[in-house]
Amino acid sequence: MGTIAPALGLGLAMSGCGAQDSLARQANAGDNKNYIAGDGSVTEYGQGERKAPVVLTGKLFNGKVVDSTAWAGKVVVLNFWYAACAPCRLEAPRLEALWQEFKPAGVLFYGVNLRDEEPEAAAFERTYGVTYPSMKDKNGGVILAMTQYVPPQAVPTTLVIDKNGKVTSRILGIADQGTLKSLITDALAGK
Amino acid sequence: MPALKEASRAKPNLASDAVTLPRLGFWGMLRWVWRQLTSMRNALFLLLLLAVAAVPGSLFPQRSVNPSTVTQYLKDHPGYGPWLDRFQFFNVFSSAWFSAIYLLLFISLAGCVVPRARAHWKAMRSAPPRTPRRLSRLTEYGTLELPERLGISAEQALQDAARLLRKRRYRIGLYDVGSDRPSVAGERGLIREVGNLLFHVSLIGVLVFVAIGGLFGYRGQKILVEGDTFVNTLISYDSFSPGPNFSPTRLDPFAITLDKFSVKFDRSSKAHYGQPIDFTAAVTVTDKPGAPPVHQTLKVNDPITIGAASFYLVGNGYAPVVTVKDGTGKTAFSGPVISIPSDGAYTSLLVIKAPDAKPSQLGFVGFFLPTALVNDKGISYASDPDPFNPRLNLNSYYGDLGLNTGQPRNVYTLDTKNLTQLNGRDKPAGGIVLALGQSYTLPQGKGTISFDGIKRYIGVDIRHDPGQVGVLISALAALAGLVCSLFVGRHRVWVRTGTHPDGRTMIEYALLARGENHRLAAEAATIRKLLQQLLSILGTGQEQPRDGMSAATGNTGTTGGTTAATRTSAKDQ
Repeated sequence: MGTIAPALGLGLAMSGCGAQDSLARQANAGDNKNYIAGDGSVTEYGQGERKAPVVLTGKLFNGKVVDSTAWAGKVVVLNFWYAACAPCRLEAPRLEALWQEFKPAGVLFYGVNLRDEEPEAAAFERTYGVTYPSMKDKNGGVILAMTQYVPPQAVPTTLVIDKNGKVTSRILGIADQGTLKSLITDALAGK
Repeated sequence: MPALKEASRAKPNLASDAVTLPRLGFWGMLRWVWRQLTSMRNALFLLLLLAVAAVPGSLFPQRSVNPSTVTQYLKDHPGYGPWLDRFQFFNVFSSAWFSAIYLLLFISLAGCVVPRARAHWKAMRSAPPRTPRRLSRLTEYGTLELPERLGISAEQALQDAARLLRKRRYRIGLYDVGSDRPSVAGERGLIREVGNLLFHVSLIGVLVFVAIGGLFGYRGQKILVEGDTFVNTLISYDSFSPGPNFSPTRLDPFAITLDKFSVKFDRSSKAHYGQPIDFTAAVTVTDKPGAPPVHQTLKVNDPITIGAASFYLVGNGYAPVVTVKDGTGKTAFSGPVISIPSDGAYTSLLVIKAPDAKPSQLGFVGFFLPTALVNDKGISYASDPDPFNPRLNLNSYYGDLGLNTGQPRNVYTLDTKNLTQLNGRDKPAGGIVLALGQSYTLPQGKGTISFDGIKRYIGVDIRHDPGQVGVLISALAALAGLVCSLFVGRHRVWVRTGTHPDGRTMIEYALLARGENHRLAAEAATIRKLLQQLLSILGTGQEQPRDGMSAATGNTGTTGGTTAATRTSAKDQ
């Protein structure tokens, strides 16, 4: 039986590396929260590694069509959310504060709502005083379009798009207000 | 191991004795371990151990099957639950101890197969073994005698026998040609060992491909209500289990919309009345961004495969459409609510959360009954899976749903810790019972709830298993190898000829099986018959083979039943 011991050690080492992973941890949690959470990790894309300019169209809850061609020369922040998602509720006031701060500079904020019908989204916006518009994306059009550039991989996901329409950074999970502020500032500065 | 036995026997002796013992040394020790590991006995023991180690996998809930049952189990058994978890009893098949067993088995198999394959390769390339000196010792033995008048020499008879054996697909080797007792050796059924080796190699293949599937694959779940779309990126999943080497870039971007889901229940048979016959989901698939949408049908056990991912239909249920208005008269929630069926009549549990209701958050928990009946105690129950008389039976709560802190919450349960109950059977206001189209005003001006419609939903499994095809091929190869090794018999045959001083040509033959071979006697009889036919035809063309009819007439060196049949037809003439 002495031969089993080294292999056991090997097995422990092998299972150890996977368990650290946030996705695997969520898979094992079994909490039925019904969304994939982010760990707040920030990815910045340097000038050279940015994907092609984003091309998409979406429909706001008020029926207006959003077309990315109108975003030329502007910094855009996209936030993927839905009302019953706990971290989205924590994040909403921070986004609204940033929106108020950057609105004068011409920065556009759009929410992309994954799961809600209009009344539910509107109730959320009333609760948190959210004034930036959100697109209704139950049909997945915006998400499918975004998979070509930088795929949103958690709820919530926040993307910052520069003046050329290229994604400069992505936050998976709850966005830290200071971090997102500096990401927007960088995009505005053309960095 | 004699060396070790001696060592243990020497233990009680003085230390000075130990020095005189033969030393195994480091490399010797390794060799000993390797020999033990690759022994057949150990492989069988490991196989047994693997079966035993798999038992907890069916005794305890497994995270790989349903993580939420594990969470519930841990909650229900706070004493020993965490200890079981520490020893990985909820992840049996990826646990260290289970992995250790199958890795050792894997090494043991490899360590056994490689030398055997090498040995067999050599055996296949070398000539059949030399003819034993005394063939008569073998169980399948017989002689034939050709009278001198036939004019067949020993040399000629041998060549004929060799030709005959070659025709019967024996590998042959001629020995002592030119001497007065030449012989031919034949061997057949080497494919048996090939099959055996193929079986073992394929088992290793199954292990390897299962490992590849586990490492690089992924599996995720999503509930889709009619009209919903799933996009294959992480944000769209309800739950997701990645393999250790998974990367999100491996997700092929595609979109699937559930247009309509229909279930057909049995209405003609009495015994199976109301049981589901058919589940059909009409879906629209967009292969990649910008691709034209295609209509497809998704059924149970008939997945849709897009790119590397497969899309399986694994569950279904009702999603009643509910609208909750809050105390201020504004809509706080509106949409389909997933209800979890618990029996064949779709008695379904549902939880509604309206976190944006004012002045306080509202929560509802209760049942959806597609066809509700009331029993004599006044309790509603579901009597049919089709929605003939749909009812919502709910209790209501207000307070803090616990969603505002950012902590993940189970969407299928209502944590009533910080909630106050409004409606229920034991409350003055009673429980809420809603028929389709009805609405109810909550007590204390907290709002209203209405039951607006019914949709169906499906539960889907999205899976990518890069090892799948490899596992299939390996499994089929293992089966083929097993069939080969079970039904092919490996044996050898020898024929020796010589000339008797009285001029007769003597032929003796013998067969030997390697391992068990029940068809050896039949093969011996066939060869005998063929030899007789061949030689008599070659001889005069007149002799009729009539074997097995003559009495034993004292053939030299042979005894028993086989010998009784050895008097040749040629002699009987």
